[in-house]
Amino acid sequence: MGGLLSVSGLGFCYRAQPVLRDISFDVERGSLCGLLGPNASGKTTLLKCINGVLSPGEGKVMVNGAPIHGMPRREVARLMAVVPQQMSLVFSFTALQMVVMGRSARLGALQLPSARDRAEARASMDELGIGGLAERPFNELSGGERQLVLLARALFQEAPILLLDEPTSHLDFRNQYLIMDVVHEMTHAKGVATIVTLHDPNLAARYCTHLVVLKEGRLHRKGRREEVFEEKTLSEVYGMGIEVHRVPGAPPVVMPGPGAAFP
Amino acid sequence: MSGHKLPFAASFLAFAASVVLALILGRYRVDPGSLWDMLTSIISGSAADPALSGPSLVLWSVRLPRVIAAVLVGAALSVSGAVFQSLFRNPLVSPGILGVTSGASFGATLALFVAGNSALAVEGSAFIWGLVAVTLAYQIGRRSGNSVTSLVLSGVIVSALFTAGISFLKYKADPYQQLPAMVFWTMGSFNSIVWDDTVRSLAIITPGLAVLYLFRWWLNPIALGDEDAMTLGINVPKARMIYIVLGTVIVAASVASCGNIGWVGLVVPHMARILVGSDHDVLIPFSALLGGTFMLVMDTLARTLPGGEIPVGVLTALLGAPFFAYLLVTNEKRGGWQN
Repeated sequence: MGGLLSVSGLGFCYRAQPVLRDISFDVERGSLCGLLGPNASGKTTLLKCINGVLSPGEGKVMVNGAPIHGMPRREVARLMAVVPQQMSLVFSFTALQMVVMGRSARLGALQLPSARDRAEARASMDELGIGGLAERPFNELSGGERQLVLLARALFQEAPILLLDEPTSHLDFRNQYLIMDVVHEMTHAKGVATIVTLHDPNLAARYCTHLVVLKEGRLHRKGRREEVFEEKTLSEVYGMGIEVHRVPGAPPVVMPGPGAAFP
Repeated sequence: MSGHKLPFAASFLAFAASVVLALILGRYRVDPGSLWDMLTSIISGSAADPALSGPSLVLWSVRLPRVIAAVLVGAALSVSGAVFQSLFRNPLVSPGILGVTSGASFGATLALFVAGNSALAVEGSAFIWGLVAVTLAYQIGRRSGNSVTSLVLSGVIVSALFTAGISFLKYKADPYQQLPAMVFWTMGSFNSIVWDDTVRSLAIITPGLAVLYLFRWWLNPIALGDEDAMTLGINVPKARMIYIVLGTVIVAASVASCGNIGWVGLVVPHMARILVGSDHDVLIPFSALLGGTFMLVMDTLARTLPGGEIPVGVLTALLGAPFFAYLLVTNEKRGGWQN
């Protein structure tokens, strides 16, 4: 206990089918926690439970000792910013309009964003080097640019916790690293507690300080990355032979092992 | 914001011009000088004087209430259309999506069947049944998941129910007296508008529009999706209920005062989006201005066309449908609705 965000004994059922069972872990300020696990292991569901979009049947999520469940959405949004998975809009908003919406939780019911809010939203975009995209329609941006705009929105939300749902899926090789660089930088510079779901263990090896590994809705391993990141754990979770190659001075590299079992 | 001054200024000029034209044009031609006389007589407080001369009488008791009603109804249908489209994240949604128009039409038909041709009974019944229909749709939708899809489906169910009710009443109605009244009512027209109707519309539609205007910001995050809006700090079920109540009340009041006028609530929000973009900060007031102007132009056309007045609802559909087709085709070339 003692982290900024603490998940304890969390369980969630979808139509009487258990999706998550007895999940507990803490995340501290300044740590970048990777959520690993195969498809359908419950990563996205866990993120939604943490954010309170889904209400867990068992256990609780606490921020600074206060339970998230039952908290008004405004307050949750001031504590946690979410970068959603791949998003396209029905109606066209510009990149800047998207970022400005990060301020919603701090506006009164009848209040509109001021010129100052807009200037600060622009500053958040500049901080991530995407000031030039401000007036472009969001839907015309590339996948990487959209992800950066959503990151700028999360930054502008000024929440101490950042949740990202597979921010690198659908991105090309370069953009995957670009986005994770930005997430890493935001976590450090702002002292944010970040949770990110990832498919590629190599990205986790390079950027995460902590790992939470899920398998079939249960917590398989958790801890500092150095402790958790090993062949046995990864092989068990992904159900295949896996080799972890360690090179001095660089993050470990993960590859399918020679005995990669695909029955 | 800055890029929207031109469309706003142009629409405001078009609005002002259409108000002047609507007051001057018609069977009884009023010269612009009388318009000025009437304005001064209203300001000096003698406007309601029964001894008013001919032109002023036409202006004051026939055209002005009709102009105000047309502007109000146009603004209400357009704003409500813009609100519902964002709420349901679907550009093909019209204000009737939750059954308000079929409910109100049923109410009017019922009043014509039971109470005869009393304007107050027809308007009151239309207004109340419009609200009943949406309440029913909302309750069914809420109990079946409270998602956008379940709401749309329950709107379809309720509309079908009330449409069946209308058919039944029409079948049972006296074919020489009641049936024509029912048919004409559903076509939608400002032909019978008098000051009493306009005052009732003013009393309901103006505050409804004002509150929607004040609450317009939440529509931005809601247009992104329910979950995204929640993570941004919006209480989505509560916000949705506020918008549905306000959007329904102003549309029910509109339908009650002039019958069914289709296409305005569908087409005008699209024109508005093309001209000023999707930011509701600007879109909502602009839809009101554009919708009021559009409806006023349509109504003026409807009553000044050679060959006698036709119901404005016929005209909006006649011009609205091809215009919508044009929008679909040109918008596809620009990259679809997403842009």
